[in-house]
Amino acid sequence: MEQFSIVGKDVPRNDAVAKARGAAVYTDDMTLPGMLFGKILRSPVPHARIINIDTSKAKALPGVKSVITGKDIPKVKYGNWRLFADTQDEYALAMDKVRFIGDEVAAVAAVDKETAQEAVELIDVEYEELEGLYDVDATTKEGAPAIHDYCPGNVSVNRKIEYGDVEKGFGESDYIREDTFEVHAVSHAYLEPCSALAQLDLDGRITLWTSTQVPYIVQCLLASTLGMRENDVRVVKPFVGGGFGGKMELRTWEFCAAFMSKQTGRPVKFTLSREEEFLTGRRRHPMTLHSKVGFKKDGTLVAKDLRIVLDGGAYNAMGPTATFLCGNFGAMLYRYPNYRFHGQHAYTNKPPASAMRGFGAPQSLYASEIQMNMAAEALGIDPVEMRLKNAQVSGDKIPDVATISSCGFKESIEAVARMSDWKRRRKELKPGQGIGIGCYSFISGGVFNWFNTQYPFSAAEVRAFSDGTVHLLSMASDIGQGCDTAMKQMLAEELGLQMKDIRITTADTATTPQADLGAWGSRVTLMVGNAVLDAARKIKEQLFGALSARLNANVVYEMECKNGMVQPKGRPKKAIPFGDVVAMVQKSKRGEPLIAHGYYTPRDKGLVTPAFGFGAQIALVEVDRETGKVEVEQMWTAHDCGTVINPKGVEGQLAGSIQMGLGYALSEQFVMQDGKTLNTNFLDYKMPTAMDMPPSAVEHIDTYEPEGPLGAKECGEGLASPTAPAISDAVYHATGYRCKDLPITPEKILNSMEEGA
Amino acid sequence: MTLPKFEYFAPESLDEAQQLLLDQGVGAHLLAGGTDLLVKMNHGLLKPASVIALKHIKELEAITYDPKEGLKIGATALLADVAAHADIRKHYPAIAAGAHETANVQIRNMGTVAGNLCNAAPSADNAPTLLAMDAEVEIKSATGERRLPLDQFFKGPGQNALASGEILTAIHVPAPGSGEGVSYQHISARGKVDISAVCVGVMVHMAENGCDDVRIFLGAVAPVPMRAAKAEALVRGKQLTEETIEAAGIAAMEESQPITDVRSSADYRKKMVAVLTRRALAEARDRALKR
Ligand SMILES: Cc1cc2nc3c(=O)[nH]c(=O)nc-3n(C[C@H](O)[C@H](O)[C@H](O)COP(=O)(O)OP(=O)(O)OC[C@H]3O[C@@H](n4cnc5c(N)ncnc54)[C@H](O)[C@@H]3O)c2cc1C
Repeated sequence: MEQFSIVGKDVPRNDAVAKARGAAVYTDDMTLPGMLFGKILRSPVPHARIINIDTSKAKALPGVKSVITGKDIPKVKYGNWRLFADTQDEYALAMDKVRFIGDEVAAVAAVDKETAQEAVELIDVEYEELEGLYDVDATTKEGAPAIHDYCPGNVSVNRKIEYGDVEKGFGESDYIREDTFEVHAVSHAYLEPCSALAQLDLDGRITLWTSTQVPYIVQCLLASTLGMRENDVRVVKPFVGGGFGGKMELRTWEFCAAFMSKQTGRPVKFTLSREEEFLTGRRRHPMTLHSKVGFKKDGTLVAKDLRIVLDGGAYNAMGPTATFLCGNFGAMLYRYPNYRFHGQHAYTNKPPASAMRGFGAPQSLYASEIQMNMAAEALGIDPVEMRLKNAQVSGDKIPDVATISSCGFKESIEAVARMSDWKRRRKELKPGQGIGIGCYSFISGGVFNWFNTQYPFSAAEVRAFSDGTVHLLSMASDIGQGCDTAMKQMLAEELGLQMKDIRITTADTATTPQADLGAWGSRVTLMVGNAVLDAARKIKEQLFGALSARLNANVVYEMECKNGMVQPKGRPKKAIPFGDVVAMVQKSKRGEPLIAHGYYTPRDKGLVTPAFGFGAQIALVEVDRETGKVEVEQMWTAHDCGTVINPKGVEGQLAGSIQMGLGYALSEQFVMQDGKTLNTNFLDYKMPTAMDMPPSAVEHIDTYEPEGPLGAKECGEGLASPTAPAISDAVYHATGYRCKDLPITPEKILNSMEEGA
Repeated sequence: MTLPKFEYFAPESLDEAQQLLLDQGVGAHLLAGGTDLLVKMNHGLLKPASVIALKHIKELEAITYDPKEGLKIGATALLADVAAHADIRKHYPAIAAGAHETANVQIRNMGTVAGNLCNAAPSADNAPTLLAMDAEVEIKSATGERRLPLDQFFKGPGQNALASGEILTAIHVPAPGSGEGVSYQHISARGKVDISAVCVGVMVHMAENGCDDVRIFLGAVAPVPMRAAKAEALVRGKQLTEETIEAAGIAAMEESQPITDVRSSADYRKKMVAVLTRRALAEARDRALKR
């Protein structure tokens, strides 16, 4: 393990004090002179043609400054998959059809919120209702009406992967099992509802402050939908209260704020209510997973055939990526010599599903982890042993997809078994108690350029000053996950500086370097980290050159930046302060500022990711066998995220993942009837609270990722996967109820126990 | 969400409050902790013309206990105060538990037991125990005062027996006799902080030859907290053996009338009535036998 001075330390977060004091400014906290308040009119019906929209009463209401419908805006479709234009299926406002309850139909901007609300209620829309279809079986059936005219059959994305000889593999298997799993939708439930504020600049350009994970993507798509050039649109990300994948597309209110500010010349702000978020917001994809797996008697995996249908809701959103990734995750964790995947993304008349922490992994790994446990039981092999036997290791190749570089998976399984005293506990539990295991692997950013960017995937700029400070600029989006702090730590480490020596400016498309694909896919640490180090190393090159010249140093001396000084390696007597060396560089170039640009785009890394994180988790539960209630008593986690940049940051990711995993496994779900979400508040949407958090122990497995910055890779999303299968397996162990359709409710447990009795 | 506009009054005496309530008429709403009222106003479900705060009226906040008179909980006594009160914890542990298991710390430091009753949610966590203990509410208005048994107070979801101009000023609970035991049991979909999907309050009185008095109330399984009369009939006059209380649980399940809603299915609620009634009877019995 390399020795670091700042990386690996619990450096306090950049934003901690501001957030604790309530001083952090979020989009909705902002007010501009003359600002108007926007409100969206949403469809009350799940599927209909729009016959007529009458906005006259709304327009006549005093205080109303703008009312727009699909007729008033450029007819430009958008969507994140720019590389495949036919996947772009959304207009900012409905043109002729609505496809789910909550679909955006019109927007109002008025002098205050009350007037905007009143005006929205004055808009008359005449609908011709069409049959609403709420599950993929109904929409993919022969003769089902098309939800989008361009897409008869309602399957918008097909993805196939195949390698080895799957049929031959099954022929050689001693034990084959086939199961169907149903997983459900859950909400991102970020604490800050979406908000966007747009202003028309004096020169006719647009500035948009918005709660987003992807300022660059919003900039590009907003420009194309407004008919402007990309750089005539400036997108700024203020403090953001979480995203989890729910804020990674251009959204209607961002477009409307910008369009209406152009139209009225006044700033326009939209902020969604929690009810709107729950009623219409993006969500995790529900899926049906058919999985057939073949094993040898000794537990060795031989073949897998995985078919998944994703319920995408009314629009593609990030569904294409989820479909692709499901296929990749289905082949992860264990060695499947023969593998076949067919993923289909289908439309339904429900709010669109999209990216959500784990991005297909929690769903596909739920199926594979539960199946692994079922097979282990049938073959009479301990589930831990079964995993160790099949675990992927460093150097393993997934044909045409990826080669695994650093991999601490086996070590994770062994560690978590040791931490939990697995072998003994499996045998010595009280009645009602159970213990179970789940594992994961996840990507450290994606390789596939579906956004079709012409820029590097990540970029950074470092400016060094003669006062010994530096300024780091990047488009990386800190949305609460802490990447600003991690980036500063890496830069401080590389330049031998302290955190206080670094100023950071991020996520403003007009001032931070082009470009960055945003905060998702656990890409920021690895990709932006590499860009930051690239810039830092270019700065160092110049500093070292200047120092060499000054010291007339023999070429045998390597240079280093350390403790605020630049010096020949290991010779502090010859050290010169960092700032003085910056001045030396500048003097030699007639004052030219010392600035370096760094960038990162993965190369030769297959189709999926430059590096994979791995880990294993064990849950101990107690089930009340009369009420069916599950109490999670303890979680143990061992994981490999490469170099740990900030231990507290990593533990925060783990705690957040366990909280989400608990909800996914046990309590969260959308209660829906005829396409309508009924539980639209935190009272009825059962997200676990701090009081529900179980005690948790963690061990970081020490690996060094060669492609990662200072050896680091992902830890933000992978951990969202193992909790549900681990709890589910523990519940089975406790009660005999094997959950194949999430969530695990007390009622399902009781019913299954009654049937068993 | 934005609050609708309303007039706000903060009277410092009960007389003043009663007069205001009379003057303001039907558009006036009383505010205790506001943890129900303001949620409704924020969501536009309630648009009061005026809001009259009770928390500045000193005489309403007291909690007093007297071995003969019993317990009096003032209208603005906080859930947190009731949960922590030494006499309540000693003599009325089920009332303390009910208050403690309502909501979370922040809400208990704002909300009141009286507000919980007046709000008249079928799931109100403080209702079943107080009903089982035969509590009465003290009601005052500018024109008079009256006392009403709590089991006549609930009229439907969100509806109580108060007439316009009336204020619930205190809750009275009789002194627990020897041989008496009380228990409160509840269950919800989320773990620790949640509205109950089913709640049960039970009081039993144990004599030589078994249980000679019993009151069983079920919450969240009918439009108002309901009395499980058939279950009571099965245990009254009997020894509380496991078989007897099991049968009582099943009787309570059969007479309950839950609905399916976003929080739970009717079927699960019914099953839980049986389990919780049995558990409550067992705990109440054990507590009674210790007295
Ligand atoms: C996050 C959260 C969690 C919650 N969890 C629970 C829970 O677990 N269990 C539960 O039962 N409830 C819960 N509640 C509901 C609420 O907190 C309780 O019902 C609380 O006891 C209400 O008391 P309050 O003093 O805040 O009432 P208020 O909101 O002030 O008043 C409630 C109603 O009673 C009327 N009122 C109040 N005092 C009087 C009076 N003296 N005379 C006449 N009318 C009066 C008001 O006009 C109003 O209509 C929760 C609420 C929130 C916001």
